[in-house]
Amino acid sequence: MKSLNRLAGAMLPQFHRNHDEHFNPYYTFQDYGQTWGMTIFILMMTALLPLIVMTLIYYQLIETSINTESLLRTERLASNARRAVTYFLEERLAALTFTVNEMDYDQLTNPGHLAEVLRNLKLGFGGLTDLSVIADTGTQVAYSGPFNLEGKDYSNQPWFMECQQHNACVSEIFSGYRGVPHIVVAVKSIRPDGRLFVLRATLETERLIQTLSSYKTGEHADIFLINRDGLLQTPSQFYEGESHHVNIALPDYSDRTRAVMSTDPSGQPILVGSAFIDTAIAPTSFILMVVKQKAGMMKVWLDLRSQINWFFGVSAVIIAVVITLTSTVMVNKIFQADRQKAETMVAAEQNCQLASIGQLAAGVAHEINNPLALINETAGYVKDLFTIKEQYKDDAELVEHIDSILDAVARCGAITRQLLGFSRRFDVQTQPIDLRDMVADVINFHKKEAEYRNIGIHVDIPETIPLIETDRGKLQQVILNLVNNAFQAIADGCFLDVRAEMDGTEHVRLFIQDNGCGIPEDHLNKVFEPFFTTKKEGQGTGLGLSITYGLVQKLHGTITVQSKAGQGTTFVVTLPVQLNKETQS
Amino acid sequence: MKVLLVDDEEKFALMLAKRLALRGIQAEVFFSGEKALDAVQQGNRFDVAILDVKMPGIGGIELKRSLQELDERMKFVFLTGHGSSIDYAAGPHETENYLPKPLQIDVLIETLNGLAEGPPGASDRDG
Repeated sequence: MKSLNRLAGAMLPQFHRNHDEHFNPYYTFQDYGQTWGMTIFILMMTALLPLIVMTLIYYQLIETSINTESLLRTERLASNARRAVTYFLEERLAALTFTVNEMDYDQLTNPGHLAEVLRNLKLGFGGLTDLSVIADTGTQVAYSGPFNLEGKDYSNQPWFMECQQHNACVSEIFSGYRGVPHIVVAVKSIRPDGRLFVLRATLETERLIQTLSSYKTGEHADIFLINRDGLLQTPSQFYEGESHHVNIALPDYSDRTRAVMSTDPSGQPILVGSAFIDTAIAPTSFILMVVKQKAGMMKVWLDLRSQINWFFGVSAVIIAVVITLTSTVMVNKIFQADRQKAETMVAAEQNCQLASIGQLAAGVAHEINNPLALINETAGYVKDLFTIKEQYKDDAELVEHIDSILDAVARCGAITRQLLGFSRRFDVQTQPIDLRDMVADVINFHKKEAEYRNIGIHVDIPETIPLIETDRGKLQQVILNLVNNAFQAIADGCFLDVRAEMDGTEHVRLFIQDNGCGIPEDHLNKVFEPFFTTKKEGQGTGLGLSITYGLVQKLHGTITVQSKAGQGTTFVVTLPVQLNKETQS
Repeated sequence: MKVLLVDDEEKFALMLAKRLALRGIQAEVFFSGEKALDAVQQGNRFDVAILDVKMPGIGGIELKRSLQELDERMKFVFLTGHGSSIDYAAGPHETENYLPKPLQIDVLIETLNGLAEGPPGASDRDG
C-alpha cells in the first residue's frame, strides 16, 4: 500500500500554478501543468496508437480468414452429405428400375416371386422394408413384407400421382397406413397391354439418419433433412421449432451446395450449409441442412484474442505508468531549474536596482549637504543674534520662526545622513555577541510601549545558538529597525514573535514575526528600496528597511520577507556565525 | 584661542566665523588650503585649525600634514560633508575630531574648548 502511494506521488507533478508573477518572464513554459499533460498525451499517442491500429487490423484479418474458412468447411460438409443421401436414394431407385426391366408384371405379382426379389434386394442393398406392386388404379395387387397391406388403395397418395407423371418418385418421410416413418421409392413400368403399374419399395429412415449422423463433426454441428416447407424430415439436435418445423430461415433454391452466415432464434451467429437433393431419375423435396454455431468454431480464436487483449491491456498500463513517471520527472526538473534561474535573476535584478539607487541617493545627498550646511550656519547666526545680542532678546516670534528653519534643516540633515549610511561602506568591527542579550536589549526599548498598547512579545532563542562573531552596532541597528517596523505595523493587542534557529552549522536565522497589517503582494519586492513607504507624508522617510538591507549585506547575511496582507509579516535575517575577516574588505 | 578656518564654501566659512566671534572665538578665514598655508608660513600662529576635508587643490588632510610640519602644537578639527571611508582612509584619524555638516555649533564649541584644554596625548608636545 505504501509503495503504491509512493508511486502515485511520483507520478503526480510537484509544481502547481506559478504563483509568483515576478518569476514569469524567466520561465520556459507558461503553464507547466499543461506542458506536463501535453507531453503525456503525445507520448501515449505515439506509443499506443500504432499498437491499437495494428491489433485491430490483425483482428479483422484473422476474423475474415476464419469466416471464409468456416464457410468453406461447412459447404464441403454439406456437399459430401448431399452426395451420400443422393447416392443412397439413387442406388435403390436403380435396383427397382433393374427389377421392373428384368421381370414382367405377372412374375412380379406372383407373391412367392416378389418375396424372393425382396430377399435378394435386402441382401444386395439393405435398408428396404417391403416391396409391392400397384396397378394403374392405385390398388396394391401384390405385397411382400412384414405389414399386411394388400388391397390398399394408393390412388390419392401424392407419391403415386407423381409417379404416374414421371418414371420414378421419392416420397417425403411419412407414416402412412403402417404408422411407422418411412420413405417410399417407386418406379413406373408398362405392361404388354399398355397399362401402367408401379413397383414400390419402402426404405427404413433409420439407415438414412445413420448416414447423416456419420457426417456430424463436433458438438456444435447439426445435420438434418427438411422438406421445402421447412418440416423436419430427420431429427435436429438444436433447431426444431413448433410442429416439427425448423426455427431458422429456409434457404433459397439453388442447384448447388451453398453456405451462408445467419443467426439462430436467440440471435447467436450460425453458419448454414444447404443442398437441394435431386436424384438422377426423380426429383425429391428434401433439403439437406448443415448448421454450425459460429461461437463454437471461433472458440480457439476467441480464447487467443482474450489472451492478446490481456497482454495488450497490461502493456498499455505499463507504458502509461512509465510515460507518466518519465514526464513528471522531466517536467519537474525543468520547472526546478527554471525556478532556480528565475530566483537568481530576480535577486540579481533587485541587488542591481538597490545598488544603483544607493549610488544615486549618495550623490544627491552629498550635493544637498553643502547648501544645507550654509542654511544651518545662516539660520544659526540669525538665532545667535537674537539670543546672544541684547537688542533682539525680546522678539520671541522671530526666534520661533528661526527655530522652525533649524528644525527643517535638522530633518534634512538626518535624511542625508541616513542616505549616506545606505551606500557607505563602514569598517566592520567584529566581536562575539550573544543574540539573546542583544534581542533582550532591543526589546527593552519597547517595553513601555508594549505594556501601554497591550502587545504581547514572545522571544524564543534557544540556548544552543552559539555566540556569533559580527558587528555589534550594525546588528543592533538591524534588529532595532525590524522591531520598530513591526511595532508600527501592528495594532494594539497583537503580538510580536522573535525567534532564532540554526541554519546548518555556519549560519543562524533570526525570525521577526508580527500579526499586523501585512504587506500587499505588489509591494513585497519594493520594501527594501530607498524612499519606498506606505506611511503618510512626513511620517516616514522610507529609508528604514533599505538601510537594514544594506547593513545585513555588510554583515554578509541575507534578509527576506514573507507577508500576507491582513495576516502579518515575517522578516528572516540569516547571518554567518563567524563573519570572515578576509571577506570583509 | 586663535582659530584658523579653511573652507572653499565662502559664505559658509564667513558665517561660521561670525558665529564663533559672537561666542568670543576669533577665527581667521581662508577659502583655500594654499592661502592658509601661506599665512602660516609667513609666521601666523593658530591654536586650532578647522579644516574642510574636501577642497579643490590642497584638501583638509594634506593641509593638516603640511601645517603640522610648520607648527607641531596646532590641533585640528575636520568638517566633512561626506563622511565616507575614502576621506578617513587618507590619514590616521584616531586622535582627530570629525564633525559632519550641517554643524551643530554647540558641538563645535565643545570640541574647540576640549582641544584648548589639551587632552592628554592630543599633541606630540603635550605627550
